[in-house]
Amino acid sequence: MLGATTLLLAGSIAARASRDGPTAPADRWWAPGSNRTFPTQADYADTTGTLRVLLTGGPLATKGHPFFTPVGPNGRACVTCHQPADAMSLSAATATERWQATGGKDPLFAAYDGSNCPTLPQADRASHSLLLGYGLFRIQRPWPPRAAKGGAVTPDFDIEIARDPWGCNSGKYGPGAGNISVYRRPRPLANMKYLLAIGFAYDPKQGLPLALDPETGKPVSGNLMADGRASTLDAQMRDAAATHLELLEQMTPTDMARIVDFESRIYTAQQADRTGGAVDIAGAEGGPAKLANSQAGQLGSIGKPVWSEFEAWEKPAPGLGPARAAFRASVVRGAHVFRDKTFLITDSTGINAPIGFGNPVRNSCVFCHNMSQMGNDVAPGQVDLGTTNQPFADPMPWLPLFRITCRKAPHPFYGRVIYTSDPGYALTTGRCADVGKITLQSLRGLSARAPYFSNGVAKDLRAVVDFYDRRYTIGYTEQEKRDLVNLMSVL
Amino acid sequence: MALLAMATVAAAEPPETVRFITCPTYRDTDAGRKSGCWLADDRATGRRYDVSAAPSKPDWNHEILVEGKAAEAPDRCGGIVLDPVRTSVLAGTCTRHMLPAEGYPGNRFSLPKRDVAPMAAARAVPPGPYSTRTFRLFFGFDSAFLMYQYDDYLLDRAITWIRAAKPRTIVVTGYAASGPETVSGRAIAEDEEIARDRAERVTEALVRLGIDRGIISVRTDTRPRPVDDPDADGLVEASRRRVDIEARF
Ligand code: HEC
Ligand code: HEC
Repeated sequence: MLGATTLLLAGSIAARASRDGPTAPADRWWAPGSNRTFPTQADYADTTGTLRVLLTGGPLATKGHPFFTPVGPNGRACVTCHQPADAMSLSAATATERWQATGGKDPLFAAYDGSNCPTLPQADRASHSLLLGYGLFRIQRPWPPRAAKGGAVTPDFDIEIARDPWGCNSGKYGPGAGNISVYRRPRPLANMKYLLAIGFAYDPKQGLPLALDPETGKPVSGNLMADGRASTLDAQMRDAAATHLELLEQMTPTDMARIVDFESRIYTAQQADRTGGAVDIAGAEGGPAKLANSQAGQLGSIGKPVWSEFEAWEKPAPGLGPARAAFRASVVRGAHVFRDKTFLITDSTGINAPIGFGNPVRNSCVFCHNMSQMGNDVAPGQVDLGTTNQPFADPMPWLPLFRITCRKAPHPFYGRVIYTSDPGYALTTGRCADVGKITLQSLRGLSARAPYFSNGVAKDLRAVVDFYDRRYTIGYTEQEKRDLVNLMSVL
Repeated sequence: MALLAMATVAAAEPPETVRFITCPTYRDTDAGRKSGCWLADDRATGRRYDVSAAPSKPDWNHEILVEGKAAEAPDRCGGIVLDPVRTSVLAGTCTRHMLPAEGYPGNRFSLPKRDVAPMAAARAVPPGPYSTRTFRLFFGFDSAFLMYQYDDYLLDRAITWIRAAKPRTIVVTGYAASGPETVSGRAIAEDEEIARDRAERVTEALVRLGIDRGIISVRTDTRPRPVDDPDADGLVEASRRRVDIEARF
């Protein structure tokens, strides 16, 4: 009886949210076990306007639902780190709000991975500086890597610790004890059909057909997790349960099926911009509804061009205020810059080697971010942009630094020794040629989930553009930079 | 003006294959995506070739082995156009060198003829009757990497046929061109091990495409003869570096 009343109440909150605009601040945070009903549509204010979250197939009673219910000892649920208001990721700003609201007591800050290292004094704010400042969680990977089917992978490189600011790469947390700790952003858990879609039978970056899921024998998209360690939602879930939730037992098949069901129904994207207005009017096709209703996995270069959603804004609607018209024009220009402004992509494994595009190769943002409507990679998207590898990475004294020595062939671009703050895909494959490769993410809902890149080094979208401008000596004009930022803010 | 001038190629005789090792030069022409030029100077003759048509392109940090035939094609990059051409990235290092466009237009990107179709595109079922048939994949020097827009296409054609024909067994033979040869005054030979690497990679590829590992047997050969296969594009030496997939009934 009580349950039913709560549900009804929650339902009416949800209805209010979609009728009356953005969800009230008090309802933004989805605490684990709050037993609310997840509405079919919820709008949340974000840094540039409104993010919309859609749940296809009707509202969901979250009471007892394994995505929303704290099942492990630390009081967390999946929703703790995959928050609707943050485009199903978690922004650093939200982490800071939670710290302030709870005096650091929120299960979000669990010692295991919500602090810089469990050995640090947990009541100190400074012990959680990576989560509060950069939205980063500690990810502990086995060393040497383990194969998906079990068994050790024999790496072709040695790893030494060049810098260990928090002590989580030494002693029982260090490689000597079979562990490596890196720090990463939660990846947005929405629009999953795009991330699981398979466009081609081959992975051109590996020069092989797509890898097969060891459980089902079916080919996988290769587009999950920064280091590609899990290739299916099931495999990912086991990883998340054992680490983030500190579960000792495996989740039951029923729980896993319920989580996959939820993950498959949730869509999110920016719905409105404060200046530009709704993104699905005047012929534009932004917003999550379009995502839910479209076929996933198309290559933009042979189908619907990436970010052509906003093409109709090229011609300003009559009577549009000047600020709104200018913003919309900027978004359209931004989409053209994204697709058409070329630059020399250099020394990025996954693109410049071994695939054969050449080093350098002239291309644009869309070369890598090539899937229509999502901006991830249609092929498995492991690419070394240089976000973690020196000399391309910015100095990040707050992150650990690893010294990698390739034992067999040297790395094609870095030589025998590589300094990196996150070996990325190499922590899965054990190959020095994969050091620093990070899987491309979705580019949707960006305004709700700063900071960016898997290591959170880009504090806002301008910092993303500036990173690329430095990395590939692009020479964007100030106008082009602003256009790119405006474009990305409405995705 | 060298621009758009025809490369001089003897009219009647089939063009000779050139084969040399050098450091590549990138010319930063800009006719949109992938439009830059790759140039390679044969040090023995002093000739500059345009090797941009290679399916797998150079890396400006490394030496390349060039194998190709001069084509009657307009000079859009500042060199004699080689097409067909292969460029294999070698271990030796090079000083990066980039030239400006200097008025050359570069090559506008167009999809290569060996471009694999998306999964969603239906493949025509190759008609029977089926009997023993060999498919071949070709590789870069000392490499077991299946080249994009070349080997993936050839493999796709093979697997489409194999799926229809359902052979009883498949023999995968990896070859390594391990007999030393002199190129640009240097003795080069593929590592014998690459024969096995190639065969194992192709076996793994077939398994990933749904072939039962149990029907595949793997062989190696380190003294391959060249083959006359249309997909080797008449490049004799490159045709030794291959894997044969022989379907038997
Ligand atoms: C403590 C925070 C936290 C919790 C709790 C958590 N996750 Fe995550 N999640 C992350 C982080 C961080 C990543 C990125 C990891 C990486 O890339 O290495 C991630 C990535 C993912 C991804 C990959 C998405 C993609 O596009 O690559 C999925 C799926 C996912 N989580 C599902 C879940 C599920 C299901 C649960 C509950 C069983 C869960 N997460 C609990 C932090 C969390
Ligand atoms: C060479 C391939 C490549 C090119 C070109 C490229 N990107 Fe990326 N992009 C990536 C990879 C790989 C990642 C993931 C890196 C990471 O998270 O550390 C990424 C991540 C991003 C992200 C972060 C998303 C998130 O959730 O944090 C944004 C935004 C982005 N790219 C925008 C752009 C823009 C704008 C351009 C053009 C200036 C561009 N990219 C060009 C490969 C590329």
